[in-house]
Order: sequence, then structure tokens, then C-alpha cells
Amino acid sequence: MFTLVLAATAEAHAATSSSSPVDLLLQFGVEWKYVVWQFISFAILAGFLYQFAIKPILATVDERNARLAVGLKNAEDTVAKLAEAQQQAAEEIKKAQAAANKIIEETRKTAKEFSDLQAKEATTRGNEMITKAQQAIDLEHKKMLEEARLEVARLVVRTTQQVLARELSDAERARYNEAATREITTV
Amino acid sequence: MHASRQSLQYARQLFRLSLADGQISAERVSGVLAYLDKHPPRQPLVILQHYRRLVAAQLAKNCAFVEHAGPIASGLLRTIEDVLSKKYQRPIAAATRPNPDLIAGLRIQVGDDLYESSIASQLAALSAP
Repeated sequence: MFTLVLAATAEAHAATSSSSPVDLLLQFGVEWKYVVWQFISFAILAGFLYQFAIKPILATVDERNARLAVGLKNAEDTVAKLAEAQQQAAEEIKKAQAAANKIIEETRKTAKEFSDLQAKEATTRGNEMITKAQQAIDLEHKKMLEEARLEVARLVVRTTQQVLARELSDAERARYNEAATREITTV
Repeated sequence: MHASRQSLQYARQLFRLSLADGQISAERVSGVLAYLDKHPPRQPLVILQHYRRLVAAQLAKNCAFVEHAGPIASGLLRTIEDVLSKKYQRPIAAATRPNPDLIAGLRIQVGDDLYESSIASQLAALSAP
């Protein structure tokens, strides 16, 4: 094998050094009609391949690239929308937090006012109860004093009745009867 | 027993027949009672009770019940009769009744009116609430 190669190389070198390139090609057995036919068949093959293989593939690739571009664009839009939504959510959260803080503050204020009002009412009610109790005590005290006074008066009157009934003489009673008659008849 | 309206009306008629010059007449009362004895009505007990109540009320109008503690002079009773007769414009007689609870003084009742001036009433006024 190596010997054949060397021989061909030597012959080629000899031919190159001794003739033109066309002659050299002819020496290698290249025939023009076959070459032309080769070019034609290659062109047909290439056209066929281009029409039915490469072109659909390129179309599919372009379509896929377009889809990828649309997907990327959608992804970018989605990312942008996501960022916007996050920003809006953050703003909403901030607003909600502020509103919640305001509500909590108002609630605290209302609770404090309600507590103060309750305490005030309780104090007022307590004072009223104390006043009423004091009035009831005073009334009871007056009633007790009145009852005591009446009881003392009854005792004094009863004692006086007993003493007068025992001590008055008929003459004194007669004088009193005369005075009573005058009093009654002058009415 | 239930007193019917007719019985009460009949008793009032008998009472009016018993009056002479606006005063109870003993003769007329005797006549009314005799008539009832001879002609007994349908409800004699009811009629007699109502008749007696009317006569007693009329007699009470002409009588002053004088309650007294201790002696009371007859002159005082006449004074009372005169004053009350003038006041009520009809003859009023005094009827005495001792009442030691008065201690001293008088209590006079004429019909529904009551006059009192006694130590007991003054002491009661002192002990009243």
C-alpha cells in the first residue's frame, strides 16, 4: 500500500513538473461530462434537500425561535408584571399596615374613652348610692328620733294622766268643767 | 234577712207618721206600733229595726250626750242646752254620763257632731305624732 502511494506520488510529482493542470486532471481520470453530471445531480439533490428538508427545518427553527422570543418576551413581561404586582402588593401591605395601625390606635382611643366613661359612670353611680344610703340613714335616724320622742311623750302623758286622775279634787274638776263649758259654748 | 226596698220605704213612711212638728211624738210612735201589732207587715222585724234606727237618729238630734269627769252643775247643763238649741235651731236636751277617762272636762255629742274640752283630749294631742 505504502509502495503504491509512493509510486502515485512520484508519478504525480513527475506529471506536475512536466504538464498543465488540465492534463494532470486528465491523467487522474477526471472526465468533464461526469463532473458536470455530478454537479447537476448535486444541484438537484441540494435543491431537493433544500426544498423538502432544510427549508422546513429552517421554518421550524424560525417558528421555534419566534416562540422562544415570544416566550422570552412573555417571561420578561411576566417578570415585569410580577415586579409591579410585588410593588403594588408592598404598597397595599403598607397601606393596610397603616390602616391597621390607625384602626388599632382608634380602637385604643375608643377603649380608653369607654373605660374612662365606665369609670366615670361607676363613680357617679357609687356617689348616688352613697347619697341615697346617707339619705336613708338620715331618714331612719329622724324616724327613730321621732319614734323616741313620741314614746317619751306617751310616757309623759300617761304619767300625767295617772297623776292628774289621782290628784285632782272634785272642786278642781268642777272648775275645769265650767271652763270647758265656756269654751264649748263660745265655739 | 235581706231588707227589701219596699220594707225600707215602708219603715220611712212609718217614721214620717211618727213626727209632730218635726219632732218625735210619743203618742204617734205608740199609734204606729199599735197599728203594726194589729196589721203585721211582710217583714216585720226588718221594718221595726229600720224604724227604730230612724227614731233613734231623730231623738239623738234632739239630745246632747254630755260626758263629764267630776261634778257638773245643773246651771252648766242648762247653759249647754240653751246654746246648742240656738245653734241647731231646735230644742235640745242634755243627758249626762260620767266618764272618768276624761280626767276633767266635757265631751258633748249632738247627732254626728262632737265637742270636747278635756284634759284627756289635750294630753292625747300632745302625744299625737
